[in-house]
Amino acid sequence: MSILRRRTALAAGASLLLPLALAGCGDNSAGGDAKKVRMLVNLTDNLNQAYWEKLVSPFEKSTGIDVQIEGPTGKSVAETFPQQLAAGTAPDVIQSIYPDANTAPELLDLSDLDWVDGTPMVDTYSLDGKRYVVGVGSQAQSLVFYNKTAFDKAGIDKTPTTWKEFTDALGRLDDAGYTPMQTAGQYMTGLQLQQLFHPALNTSHPKWQTAVTKEELNIGDAYQPMFQHYADWLKAGYFAKDDVGLDPSTADGNFVAGKVGVYPNGSWFLASLDAAGKLPFEVGVFSPPVDDGQSYPGPQGATMADPYMIWEGSGNVDGAKQLVKYLATDKTAIETQLRADGIFRQGTDLEQSPLATEVQAIVDKAPELVSVGEGAGDNRLPVTGFNPKFTEIVQSLYTSRTPEQAARAIDQWVSENR
Amino acid sequence: MTRKAWAGRRGRSQAATRAGMVVPAVMIYVGLLVVPVGYAVYYSLTDYNGFPSQTPEFTGLDNYREVFSSTDITAAMVVTGIVAAAGAALVNVAALGLALLLRQTNRFNTFGRIVMFYPHVLSALVVGFLWQALLGPQGVVNAMMEKAGASSLPFLSDETWALWTMIFVIAWALFGVQLVIYLAGLQTISPDLVEAARIDGAGRWQVFRAVTWPSLAPTVTVAIITSCLSLLKTYDVVVSLTGGGPAGSTKTLAYNILAVSFPERRVGLASAQAVVLVVAAAVLAFTVLALRRRAEEGAESVG
Repeated sequence: MSILRRRTALAAGASLLLPLALAGCGDNSAGGDAKKVRMLVNLTDNLNQAYWEKLVSPFEKSTGIDVQIEGPTGKSVAETFPQQLAAGTAPDVIQSIYPDANTAPELLDLSDLDWVDGTPMVDTYSLDGKRYVVGVGSQAQSLVFYNKTAFDKAGIDKTPTTWKEFTDALGRLDDAGYTPMQTAGQYMTGLQLQQLFHPALNTSHPKWQTAVTKEELNIGDAYQPMFQHYADWLKAGYFAKDDVGLDPSTADGNFVAGKVGVYPNGSWFLASLDAAGKLPFEVGVFSPPVDDGQSYPGPQGATMADPYMIWEGSGNVDGAKQLVKYLATDKTAIETQLRADGIFRQGTDLEQSPLATEVQAIVDKAPELVSVGEGAGDNRLPVTGFNPKFTEIVQSLYTSRTPEQAARAIDQWVSENR
Repeated sequence: MTRKAWAGRRGRSQAATRAGMVVPAVMIYVGLLVVPVGYAVYYSLTDYNGFPSQTPEFTGLDNYREVFSSTDITAAMVVTGIVAAAGAALVNVAALGLALLLRQTNRFNTFGRIVMFYPHVLSALVVGFLWQALLGPQGVVNAMMEKAGASSLPFLSDETWALWTMIFVIAWALFGVQLVIYLAGLQTISPDLVEAARIDGAGRWQVFRAVTWPSLAPTVTVAIITSCLSLLKTYDVVVSLTGGGPAGSTKTLAYNILAVSFPERRVGLASAQAVVLVVAAAVLAFTVLALRRRAEEGAESVG
């Protein structure tokens, strides 16, 4: 019986290692089928299988190429693509992720294709001058949605442009009986702080990710002023300490229910607001504040929306190129994608909601669209995994750390992982 | 044909038959156990991003040095240790207690056994989401407490509370299996022994201490080892209940391997952590076996 138990123990433990071994096996050859293109996409509530099939349907009819839509087999496309590469079953076209130093050798360089010129943010995401990804538009990251009715009741007659005005507005919303600011747990905690700080940070430290890589700037020093704002607001009760355990969709629901004054979020939140139907209050949106003396509005954090890449080992490179060209340049395909997910693209005359028009105006007025988080293209931090770690550290402001300790913690992590 | 030749042919035939039965099992064992362990150990000694375009670069013990020097990974090891120790204690005490209550076979107990086993049927991810909805800051429990005039509790929004909430949820999801193990163990105890103890004037507690507990020794060993191994691999509940937060306070080693190191494409580092976890599991299992040997010998003498 003891021997049996020893074997059981070993077998159970060794099962942890199976995925690791499988990661190393696999034939990397691709079988080509000129009439079929496989596309790996992100599946969400609104970007579901039916949406993707409808999107590519005109392409299939005009070219006779069958587009096979595939969702992630793991948690996400980012997790699934490397697994499929290792197994030799990578798709022809990959949607929703961006190239980096690890993936670039596996991707087709699209620099020679004429139609790639002028697609949104294409050069922001280029690596060593090579374009591996094309997108359909951009998503604005640094937005503050607000309850106009709450602002009226609190006697706030203009949206804040500096941190002092913003803090003052939070105080007035608190006095008026609203939750001044809504924050949330999971990935949202770090994201919201970054969203609020992009304009000020990129004004004081342009291309801050590159400055950190060149060891000209510490992330802790750069972010400590924003950590201090958060600590002050938390101490004043302008957002709840318990938010750190709150599901992001519940946070969305709190804003939609009209209990909240301001809610930092990205342009994709427009889709949630549209889905909520007619609200009992009016929603507005403004660009986050900047430091005293900085010009307002500051640079807008943005990401390429609906990015498409082609696997270099694809057995049907021509079909994959045709599909990506269609998705990134065809008027109907662009409009379908812009409508679906709160995406913006200059030069389109798409009819949109008044709130989306306000977001478009913020994007147009921004002096620059800047890359966020870990960075994009060649403007990158020297570490991977920045966003989850940053979220962890911002969460510690809610639970235990001072702004100074949080700043040193992020610097320590960078030095350990650089 | 001589008798010797016949014997030789029969011997070869028997050997071939034995090989025919053993080889498939050996192949499965090698394919599913030896090869993965071998690959993991190999990758753990390399710098590798898992992509076919990169050849693993041998880096010696660098990944192991990083495992034991990284603040994040050592913190995840401590959390894993707490989850395994406290979770195993909670699971086994709860399962043994319930098994003693439900040991008699009647309709109520049969229903009770099904109800108690049910949480284990649910996917661990579902369990996490379910308890998130119940214990979140605006979850059912806190909403009811606020309605009753009490202040809410930070089940998932305080670092210490979140860790113990997670251990409770994992124990809730896990203890059905241990319950079945203990129920099976209780069936093996001779009623004659219990009856003899009672005739000698032993009360319930004395019967438990002198007969039931010693007789259950091998069952307790199996239950402790299997629960510890399950708890060492805690991942799914972390993903759905806490996401490793708040502030990384519920990140386990398995979560760090699958949700941090792999997405960062650090296959070498992930492999080193997995090897450390397997070694820890083996050490733990053999330590429990060694510590329980005397108790099991006692059980044999009782039996």
